[in-house]
Amino acid sequence: MSLLAAPYLSLGIGALLAGAVSSLFAARPRPLAAGAALAAFTSFALAAREVAVAGHERLFDPLCSCFEADALDAVPMAFFAALTLLVILLAPRRDAGGKSMAGLLLLAAATQTAYGAANLGVLAVGWWLTGLPFALRLFGEDRSRRSVLIILCLSSLALTASIFLMHGVEMQEIAHASRLSFGLVVLAVALRKGLFPLHGWMVRQFDHGPLLPVALLFNGHLGALLVARSEAVALTQAEQHTLDLLGIAALATALITSIRSFAESRPRRLLGLLCLSQASFILAGIATANAEGVAGALLHWLVVAAASTGLIAIVRVLEVRVSGTAAPDGHLGLAVKAPRLATFFLICGLALVGLPGTLGYCAEDLIFHGALENHPWLGLALPVATAFNAINLLRIYSLLFLGVLPKRVIDIPDALPRERWPLAACVVFLLAGGLMPGRILEWRRMAAEEATLVPGDGETGHGHRVPN
Amino acid sequence: MTAESLTLLLVAAPGAAFVILGMLWLLGVGLSERLLANLTKALYLLLALVACALFWQMWRGGLTTVRVSAGDWFSVARYHFPLALLIDRLSLPLVGVTVVLAGVVGAFSVRYLHRDPGFFRFFLLQYLFTFGALLVFTADSLDLLLCGWELVGITSVLLIGFFQNRPDPVRNAQRVFGIYRIADLGLLLAVFLAHHWFHTASWHGFFSGEWPGHVNQLDGAAASVVAVLLVFAASGKSAQGPFCGWLVRAMEGPTPSSAVFYGAISVHAGAYLLLRIEPLLHASWVATSLVIFIGLTTASLGTLVHRTCADAKTSLAYAAQTQLGLIFAEIGFGWTTFAVVHLVSHAVLRTLQFLRSPSMLRDYHRVHAAAGGQIDPTGEQYDSLLPKSVQVALYRMALGRGFYDAILDRFIVLPAIALARLLGVFESHPERRSPPAAEPTAPPPSVSAIP
Repeated sequence: MSLLAAPYLSLGIGALLAGAVSSLFAARPRPLAAGAALAAFTSFALAAREVAVAGHERLFDPLCSCFEADALDAVPMAFFAALTLLVILLAPRRDAGGKSMAGLLLLAAATQTAYGAANLGVLAVGWWLTGLPFALRLFGEDRSRRSVLIILCLSSLALTASIFLMHGVEMQEIAHASRLSFGLVVLAVALRKGLFPLHGWMVRQFDHGPLLPVALLFNGHLGALLVARSEAVALTQAEQHTLDLLGIAALATALITSIRSFAESRPRRLLGLLCLSQASFILAGIATANAEGVAGALLHWLVVAAASTGLIAIVRVLEVRVSGTAAPDGHLGLAVKAPRLATFFLICGLALVGLPGTLGYCAEDLIFHGALENHPWLGLALPVATAFNAINLLRIYSLLFLGVLPKRVIDIPDALPRERWPLAACVVFLLAGGLMPGRILEWRRMAAEEATLVPGDGETGHGHRVPN
Repeated sequence: MTAESLTLLLVAAPGAAFVILGMLWLLGVGLSERLLANLTKALYLLLALVACALFWQMWRGGLTTVRVSAGDWFSVARYHFPLALLIDRLSLPLVGVTVVLAGVVGAFSVRYLHRDPGFFRFFLLQYLFTFGALLVFTADSLDLLLCGWELVGITSVLLIGFFQNRPDPVRNAQRVFGIYRIADLGLLLAVFLAHHWFHTASWHGFFSGEWPGHVNQLDGAAASVVAVLLVFAASGKSAQGPFCGWLVRAMEGPTPSSAVFYGAISVHAGAYLLLRIEPLLHASWVATSLVIFIGLTTASLGTLVHRTCADAKTSLAYAAQTQLGLIFAEIGFGWTTFAVVHLVSHAVLRTLQFLRSPSMLRDYHRVHAAAGGQIDPTGEQYDSLLPKSVQVALYRMALGRGFYDAILDRFIVLPAIALARLLGVFESHPERRSPPAAEPTAPPPSVSAIP
């Protein structure tokens, strides 16, 4: 069993938990929470660096062997820690109270636990814990809280039941799971990811829930992680068919939510449908099980995380500035007062829908090729969904930033320095990554190889799955 | 410098200018109008010099095709995205037109947009547009052409909505973007299907030999499908056939952008694509007939509507659409060289007309006065030879602009929205039962809340 040079994973998760507890009692919780998130980011980044050197090996945490880092989860862990830091820095003052900060850090710690899980038991614990901040009402009381709790519990229940149905709890033994247990895993993923027709809760959460925690909950992509893990082991014929169905459900979600957006005019709801549609590409890509599709999906994971967090944070920042973004009578015209926020929003959005020159384009290009290879006709749904999503993105942009400024908005500040730098980092990642995607693809190359490797064919390094 | 490095410099320079100036602005660095104007003039002067040097190098080499490979943009397993550019007898005139006309419009805009709040935004978008257009005309594959194509599209839409505090430009920009995206689907699908069926999307994979004598290497129904999809995409970009309604909406943008996009460069990108794939087009009778039919019907409608337009820019838009329809028909009939000459001369003339349009009345009055008030319309047109009832019917159709928007709304937009509403049954709609609530942590509304 290979070990990490230091207990980076325990330290990272510990820092998040310690930050969560101390934020609750701190007079100025934001610096404390940001410090904890920064410490976690440093730990996970160091772990990712070691994993990159180690290659395909799984590196266990020396302090707690129930945590491990490998090619698949190391980069998302570091990336998610960076997102947590970003969200904490971007949170408007009224969202930066002790309870909110503690909730964000707790959510991050739970997600990181699921990422770093060395066995299915720990994964289930992380999966359950993501609902804890909502159960403890750390983000306040709202009408979507109950639905998010019910769905998270159902999803966790499905995963736990599936684990109990299996004989062992080791990751590699997922292959021996019965058809029912694999079906339960798929159900857990579908619930968690909000696949059609189970997507309503996620849209409702975007519409009525606390936006910044939603950004973290949405961008955990734990369902995608679980599916990618399943891909990495030899599945039976029936399980592969189930996975295919999951891929088709993801394609359907991408298309249907993009069409659904045409009937919406509320920015939050539109944003929710847009993010959901684009995030479905990740599952669709992973389910293709070919090199292009999986590499594209793993790349798109990072794109969706960075871009959607930027978009969500900007919408929240604007809501606070103008007391709500729902403008049933038309447009908010905020570009006149906040041109930089408008530009950040546009770049993040265009990267999300895959404008050439951004990282999103490279990711989508690979996913399209992968999807087309597997399902020539169904794969065509993805370009159509992208086209529709781009139209909807411009609709949100118009609603928020174009048109006549309402009289109630007298003066609002543009991006503050505290907001400008994190958003600029996001934009630089999306643009520089788009200009030089090779470097970021390299981060995900090993994970993609593992996911498309036929077990027992390890010596080739980049084998393809056995055809159905 | 070699022709290869000149080509790379030509394409990369406006893109680099866009990225650098854009990031500086985002981080709070302000640039004065004068500095930006000088930078713009210097950039386009540089591009013009590079284009001239490139032409000279190619002339010395007998106008043979120059291919530049900058490696792979990215690659996964067996899939590679090559960054390959080409300059040949077709792309060279279009590159020249792009550089010269974009430079002229840039210099014109310095005065035209003086003290406009969107001054900086306009020039940034113009750099991005120039980069996109040059990429379209020099791409050696459909993949790379698609990149430039989409950049041209998004900059076009952002410039239509340039006057962002007025409702009409915003509404029209959204509409144009919708039409663009639907049309671009044709290109997107063509690229992926070409990869899927022929395992290539590069021009040298499609054709052998040099333009204009290149020979088609694809055949069968699959090639026909790809050709038809590309015709669909080209029609969208050039406002032809089913996409003819957007051009007039695009006139909401500032006049210089109308000139460079809808008079000079952007609308001709569709015709360029057809010229590039001409052998593939002629290998399929469906695609060929489609191009001729689309071109001729759009030209007829355009010339009809053009006569009933009351304002200069709308009239010019329909005139441009008419000429583009004729160019499409010329390509369909195989008159390639004639189509290129028509395209270039039309771009130059239309740019001049667009740039003169704000002072058109003044010009007319001046000429009228100089002629001693003797310039009067004769009232003699060929359409007066038609029967009266046909004249009335055509007039009504022209006034309704072919009823394009009504047809689009009734048969495309409304059914799409109805379907979208129907899909809402899978979501709960609490807002129907009660008004939407603000986020729980939000305090009472304030007018200018500082976060």
